Amino acid sequence: MKKDLKQKIGVYICECGGNISDYVDVEKVAKAVENEPGVYLVQTTMFTCSDSAQIEIIEGIKENNLDSMVVASCSPKLHLLTFRDVAKRAGLNQYNYVHANIREQCSWAHSDRTEEATDKAVRLVRAAIAKVRLSESLETIEIEAKNVAAIVGAGVSGLRSAIDLADQGTQVYLIERDHFVGGRTAQWGKLFPTNEDGKELVERLYKQIKERENITVFTGADIQSLDGSVGDFKLGVKISPRHITGACDEETSDQLYKVCPQETDDEFNFGLTKRKAIYKNYKNAYPENPVVDMDLCDKCGECLKVTNSNINLEQEAENITLNVGAILLNTGFDPYEPKDGEFGYKTIDNVITLPQFRRLLDMSNGSLEYNGKSIRDIAYIYCVGSRQPDGENKHCSRYCCTSAIQSALNVKSKYSDVRNFHINRGIRTYGKQETCYVDSTKQGDVYLQFFEKSFPTLEKIGDKTIITLNDALTDNETMEVSADLVVLVTGMVPRKEDTVAGILKVPIGSDKFYNEIHTKLRPVETVIDGIFIAGACQSPKNIRATMASTLSATAKANSLISTGKIELEPIIATIDTNLCEWCGKCDELCSYNAFEKVEIDGKMVAQVNKAICKGCGACAPICEVNAINIIGSSDEEVEVMIDAFVKDVQFIEDHKAKEAEKTVGKTDDTEKLKKALPEIGKKILQSLESEAKSVPEIAADIQHPADDVLYYLMSLRKYGFVKETGEINDDEYYLYELKQ
Amino acid sequence: MSKLNPDFILEFSTDEEFNPNACINCGTCSGLCPIGLDALPRKLSRYIVLGLEDKILEEKESYFQCLLCKLCVENCPTQVNISSNVRTARNYINRKIYKI
Repeated sequence: MKKDLKQKIGVYICECGGNISDYVDVEKVAKAVENEPGVYLVQTTMFTCSDSAQIEIIEGIKENNLDSMVVASCSPKLHLLTFRDVAKRAGLNQYNYVHANIREQCSWAHSDRTEEATDKAVRLVRAAIAKVRLSESLETIEIEAKNVAAIVGAGVSGLRSAIDLADQGTQVYLIERDHFVGGRTAQWGKLFPTNEDGKELVERLYKQIKERENITVFTGADIQSLDGSVGDFKLGVKISPRHITGACDEETSDQLYKVCPQETDDEFNFGLTKRKAIYKNYKNAYPENPVVDMDLCDKCGECLKVTNSNINLEQEAENITLNVGAILLNTGFDPYEPKDGEFGYKTIDNVITLPQFRRLLDMSNGSLEYNGKSIRDIAYIYCVGSRQPDGENKHCSRYCCTSAIQSALNVKSKYSDVRNFHINRGIRTYGKQETCYVDSTKQGDVYLQFFEKSFPTLEKIGDKTIITLNDALTDNETMEVSADLVVLVTGMVPRKEDTVAGILKVPIGSDKFYNEIHTKLRPVETVIDGIFIAGACQSPKNIRATMASTLSATAKANSLISTGKIELEPIIATIDTNLCEWCGKCDELCSYNAFEKVEIDGKMVAQVNKAICKGCGACAPICEVNAINIIGSSDEEVEVMIDAFVKDVQFIEDHKAKEAEKTVGKTDDTEKLKKALPEIGKKILQSLESEAKSVPEIAADIQHPADDVLYYLMSLRKYGFVKETGEINDDEYYLYELKQ
Repeated sequence: MSKLNPDFILEFSTDEEFNPNACINCGTCSGLCPIGLDALPRKLSRYIVLGLEDKILEEKESYFQCLLCKLCVENCPTQVNISSNVRTARNYINRKIYKI
């Protein structure tokens, strides 16, 4: 395939205010590349990213009628988009621009070997020029997006997200695996700091859901399959029936619970109580109707005899397909389940976990009892299943210190003779949560601290459990605490039975939680376009942090699908269907599932789904018949880049002439440089006109952060605009003045 | 081996000013103590909180060595009334041992 080669290339080499030019001789680089085939213009600039330099480049491209450009500067991560925009504004196609990284991958990396750095820079720029010669004009891929979202998980995170997306005009499907909404928050009882019950939060959100016509809630819903891609996902969902077909009031429900003979541990109360085969999670759980657990039901028919029960035990599960533009995952967490024997769990009968204790406290009425014995002394052992020195959970679960102390406050206000002992590894009631720690010390709670090198040991003696530990707060003296109930303050771990992650191919991090693209900068997006994560499925979070992340995911999803179309990068894999013979190796390898098997002219070949492919290039080398090319990194392009890179570098040396040129052109250069200065540089010079100043003084004068001022001031010093006076002021800062 | 006795503190004092519980074990008081008490001010409070009566009696000299200079009280980040707590402890020791 013969391409039209670019004939008028503009090459711009950035000095980056010394970041590049201190180590790489940019003038030498310019000289060495000016005779490369296709190059029409080579310029060096002090800050290529500055507004004035951008305008100069645009004018130069228009004036000289250039057809493509190369910028050699910092990492493309920083400024690729900046210069694509410059190309666009200059009337070029933005893909007729190639970026060469001569800062992070050259000047900074080889600051101790300036000559070699210059040599490498020449090669990098030559390679970029060779590549841009072959570049083609590309258009961004535009695909249609359905303004419909699926939200997986109807805990407080999913409920909140559904309301907000619906209010912004998106059709929402809220998918919950359990038969009732509310997730973990409903189990949590009274919450810090307002003592509002988790069930009340759920009720409030659910009522808002009911008021909105564009939200459909599916309970008992399991995700079965996923097809399609961003803007047009097809989500297969299996809906298990409730087996109650009409309204079922409270009185009838109570009768049903009474007549049903089948009993099992109630998961909602973490096994503290029993429930029947017909059940609700709790009295005011939503949706209002009870549900029949068909795994437990033996169809004895007793419930059918209750009048107005509306029970149909023959209801079948239903499979539906939802066509959605984006998917938001709010699948939450599991509380850590201690191993048998870990701090006496399951081996000593009065050892329970924090979630169990919260349910016990929530359900208790009149007296606090466990296993029929009344409780006075409660010992809390912290960081169980979190911050494990040997286990796999290295993280801090963030919510548990506050939750345990809040429980201690609640139990004391409900039963005043209770005494709390907090056996911790350092209390982390960060931010506003510190107040609950102070309140707990005021009510007389005792805090003891152990280190991971000696964990407390437990022994049951009579009715009491004796906990022995070395208290770090009393010179590691050995202490014995006698308790009626031991509460293991368990942390958060990822969901154990997670079928969603496998079907949706959600990336999982090394901590086993769902993984975002960037922890800090892109915390709610995944590498799969159109799939967002929020809440505790991503990392341990309390309700407040969960709300922040879910609202952020909601906003991201809305901005993606609400306009009805999505723009994607055109740099993707392409298949030469003449060569392809469908072996399936590319399909096996692709982590995004971008390949499909299709029939063209009676032969099976691979096809790339443009909306899914990320252009990562993993498939190209695996293809045995070389049918796969990545746009912008085709074999031809890579080969010419290599050829350009390995070509000999011979500098055209003429030191004397250059020196002479420098002295003659000095004034002109200074004026030119002054014009190219970024805004802040000009401000600094202005500020120094009246008197000599120190860095903090300049910063205060021009209202810029001092570190920025220092950075630009050093560049100005290097280029001979300013110099230090040699004096220091009262605060012992150096003073700088204008160099005349 | 010491056994925790959380009821002890009630026997000790019911005065509202008596607040060794507010101690966060930062150690500021111990660092500042001009006479470097054998059992540092922090530990004197700690023994009372944990109800370690044996330890209190063992360290009775320390409770009486204190100058009540209040350097620790002035600098305590959680406003523990250390000197007043020490005096309450002296009162207890007087009653218990010296039968005064």
